[in-house]
Amino acid sequence: MATVLLDQLCKRYERSHDLAVDHVSLDVAHGEFMVLLGPSGCGKSTTLRMIAGLEAISSGELSIDGKVVNEVPAKDRDIAMVFQSYALYPHMTVRDNLAFGLRRRGIDGAEIARRVADVGAMLGLQPLLERKPYALSGGQRQRVALGRAIVRDPKVFLFDEPLSNLDASLRVSTRGELIKLHRRLGATMIYVTHDQVEAMTMGSRICIMDRGKVVQIGAPLEVYRRPANVFVAGFLGNPPMNRIAAAIEGERLVLGAARLTLPVSLLAAARAAPSIVFGIRPEDLAQAEPGADTFAAEVTAVEPLGAETIATLRLDGSDSELNARLGRDAVVRVADRIHLRPDLSRARLFDAASGLALDER
Amino acid sequence: MQKWRQALVVFMLSIYTAFAAGPFLWVATMSLRTTTEISRDHFRFPETLHWEKFPDAWFNSNYGVYFTNSLIVVLSAVTVLTLVGAMAAHCFARYRFRLNRVFYFIIFSTIIFPPQITIIALFQILVQYGLFNSLVGLTLVYVAFQLPITIYILESFFSRIPGDLFEAARIDGYSEWSIFWRIALPIALPALSTTIILNTILLWNEFLYAVVLITDEDKRTLPLGIQRFMGDQMEDIGMISTGLMIAIIPVVLIYAFFSEKLIQGMTAGAVK
Repeated sequence: MATVLLDQLCKRYERSHDLAVDHVSLDVAHGEFMVLLGPSGCGKSTTLRMIAGLEAISSGELSIDGKVVNEVPAKDRDIAMVFQSYALYPHMTVRDNLAFGLRRRGIDGAEIARRVADVGAMLGLQPLLERKPYALSGGQRQRVALGRAIVRDPKVFLFDEPLSNLDASLRVSTRGELIKLHRRLGATMIYVTHDQVEAMTMGSRICIMDRGKVVQIGAPLEVYRRPANVFVAGFLGNPPMNRIAAAIEGERLVLGAARLTLPVSLLAAARAAPSIVFGIRPEDLAQAEPGADTFAAEVTAVEPLGAETIATLRLDGSDSELNARLGRDAVVRVADRIHLRPDLSRARLFDAASGLALDER
Repeated sequence: MQKWRQALVVFMLSIYTAFAAGPFLWVATMSLRTTTEISRDHFRFPETLHWEKFPDAWFNSNYGVYFTNSLIVVLSAVTVLTLVGAMAAHCFARYRFRLNRVFYFIIFSTIIFPPQITIIALFQILVQYGLFNSLVGLTLVYVAFQLPITIYILESFFSRIPGDLFEAARIDGYSEWSIFWRIALPIALPALSTTIILNTILLWNEFLYAVVLITDEDKRTLPLGIQRFMGDQMEDIGMISTGLMIAIIPVVLIYAFFSEKLIQGMTAGAVK
């Protein structure tokens, strides 16, 4: 177990003006499962590769267990990494793949055999030990890659989108296995993914990145409920949080043709910004009878998913589109005009200019 | 319709096989006949199999020496070619460094020069360094001559090895040198076999450099040895054929040994 501390870490590639990783600071505690989440090209994999020692650090400081490791080569950082492609050595058997890293470290043969057997038993690899990677299924390869990391007993585990090559059902079961594994090993793990479901279900904390920068770090539900800016609001959730241009008029929020009464806490924050964006999750909108604090909208599309119905709507008096997660029994058709009541206690307001949440400014 | 097409394919293949294997079989029959018998009738199957011609060629016509010389030169050249070629290819494929592509292009562009252009200069260089008329000199020339194409073939294979494997090995604690030996080389075995076979066959049969750079009788390689039996007035066809058969055997053996890998190497990436 170990701590990992990133202090203003930057990466600039040769012949590039922009920073691929832009002053990233992150503190991963002992035994924490930290997920780096973001769209492709946001710098999350580069950050992970810098932690692994596979990519030189342009500036900033990286410490593992309190020791600065900027100049320490990958092999001496005591980390193990699971790659997206698994990176199994194709000319070696599963047993040799598992033992390869241990042999280098001068561990004696009996101990290597014991550790390989233990990991083989833990991951159900025993019948596969004499096979070569080409004779394994995707899921089995993934487990070998995982075993290769575990067998080393490293201070920190790094995962670079390890589930993205698996099919949907296998991904779900492997996700569960990884969570169990983390609980059992209690090790510090840093996990890169662009899949928000993985991030939400696996992470102790999530670090969301966009264009090389960290935009929010927090527990999964906290990040989901209280996105720090418009990007996070639009990135997390499926469908994501609705973001609608709004204004303040006296004590009330103007949303298209509707006027809503804001809670006092939000009102104070809203007044500080010249123009605002109103954010509300689709599940915080409920179909309602016309009345106070409701707004009308026209249904433009309906997705009945069985367990729920997702309706896409156009807000009255505005061009804004929004999604509402209605109950499974909701009966709505395209071109219907319905009324929705937002749960304003769960709403977020953002500064339209900076994109930042108003209470985060 | 399907049957006719199949018949046509078999017919075409038979013609090609006859075209390719015919001369070989002809030389094989001649290698067991004496020159007198051959002069009487060029195309007969041997009535008595003169197996004694093989030890005769080996011991009395100096083929043993030629064979050994060829073996020394080709084995050393192919070993150096394979190792240096693989290292260079790994380097070009794996490391980003300034002028990587420029160096690669310069090395590869040397294949456009036909050997006839360089041979006079090479002759002078070898004389100057005391390497003329020596097996070491010939080996070095062979290495220089075949290195560009070897690097070219190997580089295209090495560049297809996923970089993640090397990074995984780095994290596993291996040095760049061990990664080359323990990861890159074993994975590149099909491509290495391809270059080993190509270089062996080409250098085993190489004549031009050998005839210019070797003059001593006891340093001749097999192609030069066979040429010795071609006189101005008389050609000892029987002995030449026996010599040719002796020369062919190692090539056939090496092909048989590496051919599976050769096919793998040539089709690598084509089938998933």
